Amino acid sequence: MALGFAVGVFGVLILFHAAYSTIQYRGLLKIMEEEFSGPPMNVVAELLLGLVFCIWAALTVPGKFLSIQPYSEENRIVSLPANSDFMIFNHRGKVFPLEMDVKLKH
Amino acid sequence: MDSIPTFNAEHLQSNMKTIYYSRTFLSIIGGVIAGIMGFTSLTGFIFYFLIMAITSVGLLAKAGFTVHSYFDSWNRVLLDGFLGGLMGLPLPSRFCLLLIILL
Repeated sequence: MALGFAVGVFGVLILFHAAYSTIQYRGLLKIMEEEFSGPPMNVVAELLLGLVFCIWAALTVPGKFLSIQPYSEENRIVSLPANSDFMIFNHRGKVFPLEMDVKLKH
Repeated sequence: MDSIPTFNAEHLQSNMKTIYYSRTFLSIIGGVIAGIMGFTSLTGFIFYFLIMAITSVGLLAKAGFTVHSYFDSWNRVLLDGFLGGLMGLPLPSRFCLLLIILL
């Protein structure tokens, strides 16, 4: 998480550096009175590198995807709440077919 | 008895938020890059769609290509936030372009 954040900040810094290089390049072009058709190749390479870092950071920093299947391994409810006085077990759930392959998780 | 597919709504919402953050951040970064490269109008749009497509592929890869264990439909992963992020691109793009032209 912290690594992803650092990589993201690094990517943004690379982009800022590329922007600064482009500004200087334009200044140079103005002196030589030429048209600006695009930033130089090394700036493009820098932009691509910054983009790759930012994509990687954008995918890792916000957090993992959590499973939404109710029967998946990490969504199992394995303990009863402490206050079980109000829990009713004599309900209509008994008409569901028994699932015999559910294992007890320690 | 048939069971209606039910989902853990809280996790689903958290996953949607994750996608939203990723897309927003990348649309801003895409805007900055488009501004630096001097992309305008049509080229800028094409660039934006390219960035969003790369983001979609990245999100799919993050979900391990098994969309059904994290989302209820493909459309959510691929298209959600696509148009919302469209607003995020022109502003940084114009800002960078302006900065570069003026300085």
